[in-house]
Amino acid sequence: MFGKLKNLFGGDTGITIAAPTAGTVVALESVPDPTFAQGILGPGIAIEPAEGRIVAPADGTVDVMFETGHAVSMTTADGAELLIHVGIDTVQLEGKHYKACCKAGQQVKKGDVLIEFDPAAIKAEGYQIVTPILVCNPDAFTVEPAAGGTVAAGDALLTLKKK
Amino acid sequence: MKTVEYTIKDALGIHARPAGLLVKEAGKFASKIMIASPKKEVDAKRIMGVMSLGVKCGDTVKITIEGEDEEAAAAAMQAFLESNL
Repeated sequence: MFGKLKNLFGGDTGITIAAPTAGTVVALESVPDPTFAQGILGPGIAIEPAEGRIVAPADGTVDVMFETGHAVSMTTADGAELLIHVGIDTVQLEGKHYKACCKAGQQVKKGDVLIEFDPAAIKAEGYQIVTPILVCNPDAFTVEPAAGGTVAAGDALLTLKKK
Repeated sequence: MKTVEYTIKDALGIHARPAGLLVKEAGKFASKIMIASPKKEVDAKRIMGVMSLGVKCGDTVKITIEGEDEEAAAAAMQAFLESNL
Protein backbone atom coordinates (compact mmCIF):
# COMPACT_ATOMS: atom_id res chain seq x y z
CA MET A 1 0.00 0.00 0.00
CA PHE A 2 2.82 2.36 0.83
CA GLY A 3 4.35 1.52 -2.53
CA LYS A 4 1.16 2.47 -4.27
CA LEU A 5 0.95 5.72 -2.37
CA LYS A 6 4.53 6.55 -3.22
CA ASN A 7 3.89 5.85 -6.89
CA LEU A 8 0.88 8.09 -6.73
CA PHE A 9 3.07 10.97 -5.64
CA GLY A 10 5.89 10.22 -8.05
CA GLY A 11 7.90 8.71 -5.20
CA ASP A 12 10.56 6.03 -5.38
CA THR A 13 9.95 4.79 -8.89
CA GLY A 14 9.77 8.27 -10.39
CA ILE A 15 8.21 9.37 -13.63
CA THR A 16 9.33 7.69 -16.84
CA ILE A 17 9.90 9.71 -19.99
CA ALA A 18 10.00 7.43 -23.02
CA ALA A 19 12.25 7.63 -26.05
CA PRO A 20 10.48 9.74 -28.69
CA THR A 21 12.35 7.97 -31.50
CA ALA A 22 14.38 4.81 -32.09
CA GLY A 23 18.12 5.22 -32.16
CA THR A 24 21.33 5.42 -30.18
CA VAL A 25 21.41 7.22 -26.84
CA VAL A 26 23.98 10.04 -26.65
CA ALA A 27 25.03 11.93 -23.50
CA LEU A 28 23.88 15.54 -23.63
CA GLU A 29 27.47 16.67 -22.99
CA SER A 30 28.47 15.03 -26.30
CA VAL A 31 25.97 17.01 -28.39
CA PRO A 32 27.98 19.35 -30.66
CA ASP A 33 26.17 22.54 -29.63
CA PRO A 34 27.06 24.31 -26.38
CA THR A 35 23.45 25.43 -25.86
CA PHE A 36 22.51 21.79 -25.37
CA ALA A 37 25.80 20.40 -24.07
CA GLN A 38 25.98 22.99 -21.27
CA GLY A 39 22.37 22.40 -20.31
CA ILE A 40 21.27 25.99 -21.05
CA LEU A 41 17.87 24.72 -22.20
CA GLY A 42 17.74 22.17 -19.38
CA PRO A 43 19.10 18.78 -18.38
CA GLY A 44 18.33 15.69 -20.42
CA ILE A 45 19.74 13.29 -22.95
CA ALA A 46 19.98 12.94 -26.73
CA ILE A 47 19.23 10.27 -29.33
CA GLU A 48 20.85 9.81 -32.73
CA PRO A 49 17.63 8.87 -34.55
CA ALA A 50 17.43 5.68 -36.59
CA GLU A 51 14.04 6.65 -38.02
CA GLY A 52 12.31 9.76 -39.29
CA ARG A 53 9.67 10.41 -36.70
CA ILE A 54 9.20 11.79 -33.21
CA VAL A 55 6.44 10.46 -30.99
CA ALA A 56 5.15 11.81 -27.69
CA PRO A 57 7.41 10.56 -24.87
CA ALA A 58 4.54 10.74 -22.36
CA ASP A 59 0.89 11.73 -22.14
CA GLY A 60 0.46 15.49 -22.03
CA THR A 61 -0.27 18.71 -23.89
CA VAL A 62 1.71 20.23 -26.76
CA ASP A 63 2.95 23.71 -25.76
CA VAL A 64 4.88 24.83 -28.83
CA MET A 65 5.02 23.18 -32.22
CA PHE A 66 7.69 25.25 -33.96
CA GLU A 67 6.51 26.41 -37.39
CA THR A 68 9.77 25.08 -38.80
CA GLY A 69 8.86 21.58 -37.59
CA HIS A 70 12.32 21.03 -36.12
CA ALA A 71 11.32 21.18 -32.46
CA VAL A 72 8.34 20.59 -30.23
CA SER A 73 7.71 21.23 -26.58
CA MET A 74 5.08 19.70 -24.34
CA THR A 75 4.01 19.55 -20.72
CA THR A 76 3.47 16.02 -19.48
CA ALA A 77 0.50 15.03 -17.34
CA ASP A 78 3.00 14.98 -14.42
CA GLY A 79 4.04 18.60 -15.06
CA ALA A 80 7.40 18.05 -16.72
CA GLU A 81 8.14 20.59 -19.46
CA LEU A 82 9.91 18.75 -22.28
CA LEU A 83 11.68 20.07 -25.36
CA ILE A 84 12.54 17.75 -28.24
CA HIS A 85 14.88 19.42 -30.73
CA VAL A 86 15.46 17.41 -33.91
CA GLY A 87 18.97 18.07 -35.13
CA ILE A 88 21.54 20.79 -34.56
CA ASP A 89 21.02 24.27 -36.05
CA THR A 90 18.14 22.83 -38.06
CA VAL A 91 16.08 25.97 -37.47
CA GLN A 92 18.08 27.14 -40.51
CA LEU A 93 16.23 24.69 -42.75
CA GLU A 94 13.08 26.77 -42.15
CA GLY A 95 10.78 23.76 -42.30
CA LYS A 96 12.36 21.92 -45.20
CA HIS A 97 12.43 18.11 -44.65
CA TYR A 98 10.20 18.42 -41.56
CA LYS A 99 6.48 17.93 -41.11
CA ALA A 100 4.72 19.11 -37.95
CA CYS A 101 2.10 16.52 -36.99
CA CYS A 102 0.62 18.29 -33.96
CA LYS A 103 -0.27 21.80 -32.87
CA ALA A 104 -0.06 23.91 -29.72
CA GLY A 105 -2.71 23.07 -27.17
CA GLN A 106 -3.30 19.56 -28.51
CA GLN A 107 -3.66 16.73 -25.98
CA VAL A 108 -1.41 13.81 -26.89
CA LYS A 109 -0.93 10.26 -25.68
CA LYS A 110 2.46 8.58 -25.35
CA GLY A 111 3.34 7.27 -28.82
CA ASP A 112 1.31 9.81 -30.83
CA VAL A 113 3.34 11.14 -33.77
CA LEU A 114 4.49 14.75 -33.22
CA ILE A 115 7.00 15.30 -36.04
CA GLU A 116 8.00 13.48 -39.23
CA PHE A 117 11.32 14.26 -40.85
CA ASP A 118 13.68 13.02 -43.53
CA PRO A 119 16.98 12.10 -41.84
CA ALA A 120 18.86 11.43 -45.10
CA ALA A 121 17.82 14.74 -46.67
CA ILE A 122 18.69 16.71 -43.51
CA LYS A 123 22.13 15.06 -43.33
CA ALA A 124 22.65 15.67 -47.05
CA GLU A 125 22.22 19.41 -46.37
CA GLY A 126 25.06 19.19 -43.88
CA TYR A 127 23.12 19.11 -40.61
CA GLN A 128 23.39 16.61 -37.79
CA ILE A 129 20.14 14.95 -36.70
CA VAL A 130 21.13 14.15 -33.11
CA THR A 131 18.03 15.01 -31.09
CA PRO A 132 18.23 16.39 -27.53
CA ILE A 133 15.31 15.62 -25.21
CA LEU A 134 15.35 18.16 -22.40
CA VAL A 135 13.51 19.00 -19.21
CA CYS A 136 12.97 22.77 -19.23
CA ASN A 137 11.74 23.02 -15.63
CA PRO A 138 14.55 21.37 -13.66
CA ASP A 139 13.51 23.45 -10.65
CA ALA A 140 10.65 20.94 -10.26
CA PHE A 141 12.36 17.63 -11.09
CA THR A 142 15.61 15.71 -10.81
CA VAL A 143 16.52 14.10 -14.12
CA GLU A 144 18.39 10.80 -14.51
CA PRO A 145 19.10 8.75 -17.65
CA ALA A 146 17.16 5.46 -17.74
CA ALA A 147 18.78 4.04 -20.87
CA GLY A 148 22.03 3.74 -22.80
CA GLY A 149 22.98 2.08 -26.07
CA THR A 150 20.13 1.65 -28.50
CA VAL A 151 16.46 2.27 -27.77
CA ALA A 152 13.17 1.74 -29.54
CA ALA A 153 10.58 4.51 -29.50
CA GLY A 154 8.58 4.07 -26.31
CA ASP A 155 11.41 2.52 -24.27
CA ALA A 156 12.20 4.19 -20.93
CA LEU A 157 14.68 7.04 -21.57
CA LEU A 158 14.69 9.36 -18.55
CA THR A 159 13.56 9.01 -14.96
CA LEU A 160 12.23 12.16 -13.31
CA LYS A 161 11.57 12.63 -9.62
CA LYS A 162 9.64 15.51 -8.18
CA LYS A 163 11.78 17.73 -5.97
CA MET B 1 10.06 49.44 -12.64
CA LYS B 2 12.13 49.50 -15.83
CA THR B 3 11.12 48.59 -19.35
CA VAL B 4 13.19 47.67 -22.37
CA GLU B 5 11.73 47.60 -25.87
CA TYR B 6 13.51 45.99 -28.76
CA THR B 7 12.62 45.06 -32.33
CA ILE B 8 14.01 41.66 -33.29
CA LYS B 9 16.50 41.77 -36.15
CA ASP B 10 17.56 38.10 -36.22
CA ALA B 11 15.92 36.49 -39.26
CA LEU B 12 15.00 33.38 -37.26
CA GLY B 13 13.37 35.19 -34.32
CA ILE B 14 13.49 33.78 -30.78
CA HIS B 15 13.83 30.04 -31.41
CA ALA B 16 15.10 27.47 -28.91
CA ARG B 17 18.73 28.58 -28.52
CA PRO B 18 18.12 32.31 -28.03
CA ALA B 19 15.21 31.48 -25.71
CA GLY B 20 17.58 29.45 -23.54
CA LEU B 21 20.22 32.17 -23.52
CA LEU B 22 17.66 34.88 -22.73
CA VAL B 23 16.31 32.88 -19.79
CA LYS B 24 19.86 32.29 -18.54
CA GLU B 25 20.57 36.03 -18.67
CA ALA B 26 17.29 36.90 -16.92
CA GLY B 27 18.03 34.27 -14.27
CA LYS B 28 21.12 36.17 -13.14
CA PHE B 29 18.92 38.81 -11.53
CA ALA B 30 16.67 38.79 -8.49
CA SER B 31 14.14 41.14 -10.12
CA LYS B 32 10.90 39.86 -11.57
CA ILE B 33 11.37 39.97 -15.35
CA MET B 34 8.51 39.60 -17.81
CA ILE B 35 8.72 39.58 -21.60
CA ALA B 36 5.85 40.45 -23.89
CA SER B 37 5.39 39.77 -27.58
CA PRO B 38 2.63 41.44 -29.58
CA LYS B 39 0.45 38.46 -28.49
CA LYS B 40 1.11 37.82 -24.79
CA GLU B 41 3.37 38.32 -21.78
CA VAL B 42 5.34 35.57 -20.02
CA ASP B 43 7.94 35.08 -17.28
CA ALA B 44 11.35 35.72 -18.90
CA LYS B 45 12.92 33.18 -16.52
CA ARG B 46 10.93 30.23 -17.91
CA ILE B 47 12.16 28.62 -21.15
CA MET B 48 8.79 27.17 -22.07
CA GLY B 49 7.09 30.53 -21.75
CA VAL B 50 9.68 32.41 -23.78
CA MET B 51 9.57 29.80 -26.57
CA SER B 52 5.78 29.91 -26.61
CA LEU B 53 5.86 33.63 -27.51
CA GLY B 54 6.84 32.61 -31.04
CA VAL B 55 8.67 35.91 -31.55
CA LYS B 56 9.63 36.51 -35.18
CA CYS B 57 11.96 38.88 -36.97
CA GLY B 58 10.43 42.37 -36.97
CA ASP B 59 8.35 41.78 -33.81
CA THR B 60 8.88 44.23 -30.98
CA VAL B 61 9.28 42.69 -27.53
CA LYS B 62 8.79 44.58 -24.31
CA ILE B 63 10.65 43.49 -21.21
CA THR B 64 9.37 44.70 -17.84
CA ILE B 65 11.69 44.48 -14.85
CA GLU B 66 10.76 45.06 -11.24
CA GLY B 67 12.99 44.56 -8.22
CA GLU B 68 16.02 45.70 -6.31
CA ASP B 69 18.48 45.07 -9.16
CA GLU B 70 16.20 46.35 -11.94
CA GLU B 71 18.71 48.96 -13.16
CA ALA B 72 21.43 46.37 -13.76
CA ALA B 73 18.94 43.85 -15.14
CA ALA B 74 17.53 46.36 -17.64
CA ALA B 75 21.03 47.21 -18.89
CA ALA B 76 21.93 43.53 -19.17
CA MET B 77 18.73 42.59 -21.02
CA GLN B 78 19.19 45.52 -23.42
CA ALA B 79 22.77 44.43 -24.12
CA PHE B 80 21.69 40.79 -24.54
CA LEU B 81 19.01 41.68 -27.09
CA GLU B 82 21.33 43.92 -29.06
CA SER B 83 24.11 41.36 -29.30
CA ASN B 84 22.01 38.21 -29.82
CA LEU B 85 18.77 39.15 -31.55
